[in-house]
Amino acid sequence: MTQLQKTSFKASDYRSDNTPIWCPGCGDFHVLLSITKALVELGTAPENVAVVSGIGCSSRIPAYTNCYGFHGVHGRSLPLGAGLKVARPDLTVMVMSGDGDGFSIGGNHFLHACRRNVDMTYVVMDNRVYGMTKGQPSPTTEPDWDSALSPGGTGLSPFHPLVIALASGANFVAREFSGDIKGTTRTLVEAVRHPGFSFVEILSPCVTFRPDERAWKTQIHAAPVEATDDPARAARRIMTDDGFNVGVLYRGNRKPYNTHVKDTAGDPAILEEEFEI
Amino acid sequence: MTGETKLTNLQGNHACALAAISAGCDFYAGYPITPSSEVAERMSVELPRIGGTFIQMEDEIASMAAVLGAAMGGAVAMTATSGPGFSLKQENIGLGIITETPCVIVNVMRGGPSTGMPTRPGQGDIMQARWGTHGDHPVVALAPASVAEVWSETRRAFAIAEAVRTPVILLIDEVVGHLVETVAVDANPEPVTGRVWAEGDPANFQPYEAGPSLVPAMAKPGDGRRAHMTGLTHGPDGFPTQDPATASAMLTRLFDKIETHNSLIERFEAIDCEDADIVIVAYGISARAARRATSLARKAGLRVGLFRPVTLWPFPETAFRTATKSAGRILVAEMNAGQLRMEIERLTSENQHVEGVNRFDGEPITPEAILTAIDQSKEQAA
Repeated sequence: MTQLQKTSFKASDYRSDNTPIWCPGCGDFHVLLSITKALVELGTAPENVAVVSGIGCSSRIPAYTNCYGFHGVHGRSLPLGAGLKVARPDLTVMVMSGDGDGFSIGGNHFLHACRRNVDMTYVVMDNRVYGMTKGQPSPTTEPDWDSALSPGGTGLSPFHPLVIALASGANFVAREFSGDIKGTTRTLVEAVRHPGFSFVEILSPCVTFRPDERAWKTQIHAAPVEATDDPARAARRIMTDDGFNVGVLYRGNRKPYNTHVKDTAGDPAILEEEFEI
Repeated sequence: MTGETKLTNLQGNHACALAAISAGCDFYAGYPITPSSEVAERMSVELPRIGGTFIQMEDEIASMAAVLGAAMGGAVAMTATSGPGFSLKQENIGLGIITETPCVIVNVMRGGPSTGMPTRPGQGDIMQARWGTHGDHPVVALAPASVAEVWSETRRAFAIAEAVRTPVILLIDEVVGHLVETVAVDANPEPVTGRVWAEGDPANFQPYEAGPSLVPAMAKPGDGRRAHMTGLTHGPDGFPTQDPATASAMLTRLFDKIETHNSLIERFEAIDCEDADIVIVAYGISARAARRATSLARKAGLRVGLFRPVTLWPFPETAFRTATKSAGRILVAEMNAGQLRMEIERLTSENQHVEGVNRFDGEPITPEAILTAIDQSKEQAA
């Protein structure tokens, strides 16, 4: 077993040969690039990284990486990632999702992943639309957005993932824009390094069904203030900002989930004796 | 295995948990539900002692997903639930089948449909176990009839899951789950044989390439092999495909893989069937009543036998046909409206009359009810 262990990697080491099915101009191309660049900086070997996803355009990402990939069912990537991480704490687990997969069908798992605080990174590519099913409103879609499924708009209040993450106990909260590869890479590196559950929402335009999102690149700006470790302050800031300030918004210091903390059950022999005759 | 046994008083659900640990299970994810919660409670106590992981998830779907994630990571994983939770797990059970992820799903069956009778027994999930997840797929489901058999079948469930790389469903009815019996268990049980991990050159590794066993060796995350697991139809390389030949080959292998391992999977009991005019078919707690009924009927001079499938899916077809060769009448006793009867009707000839002894009021079937059915059947035959 005298195999040479590679200690440094190039971005291409993290990319597979598979051609993405994404439309030309999709923001997810840039997210994929940022992920590979972040992994180069982290220096973790591709085989020690597990990329887990659900269903949707963004969830196709594991197949485009050279990491251990798990492409599960719609909306359930977080519990799958949690099971993998608690069984294999040595792996770097990155869970990838979109606004439909992660906040609608997977909404309950999002809340509990935040409060459970398993040491993994959750990346949601938010384009405010169901792209793979050809343009239906998602939980983050604006209430007046018109579509074949929502003529005149849904009239529903959009889901606010960053605030919900804070209220539910996520330990690291950030917003990024897919086109800002440098900023996204930097934040992803920090998110993976930060202990506990790190949530990074990446605004990733869907140029096919939301061409209006092409304007995002002109609206994006750096968060005007430093990240806080006070969730209430972070939540207030996020609820009153313009939705386009990017960077790390909250760094918490909660202890990550650990299944091996308690042994209150006593000596196994005692329990066995109860049952033996 | 030393062959040495010890006598223990155990509840069925506790026997399931302890047998799982003895088989090598080191991961449990679950959600509270009656009447299966004792499995989870016992696991929450036992797993930390062996360095395993117990995790209570936010719902039944998450529990099944966590089991798949853990199993992919190398854990020997299980979950337990009951009717409504079993329904919720179905989509991920399909994911387990298509990604060939070994795991054990325990369903302690209660009265249904819907919330039904949560504290009352039922056997109404037989067909849900077979067809609960969408699409064509093979299924392995086992139905123990006693606490002792919960022990042995739980161990066997893990042995099958690990060797064949497939989810295995353990259908325990509420009576067996909550029954306390004295059982002789192995004093020093050994873990079941582990799964086959991929070896050799990682560079040319194909995660779904299978040899003659039809079971592909698994890639352990972190060991240097690139593997992509997906619920999409995939080829030997693990990546999605819509190529008809590859799609057909994938599903065909999934079916053939189960058939190839039939000797490991199939288990049944045929008692007094050789000369039987009437054969009772029953499983789980209903088989205990049927055993009593057949023995009383024999004492009364009636030629009655019992066919008890322990493996419900795939149904032991050949064994059933052999056991019922001389029987003109077949009674299927089950706590549902006649789910296994449909399968039996499919397997019998037109000269064989099939009827059911059914109960779905939350009470187990009694030996008397089966005896009455035997008498009636006898009269009709005459």
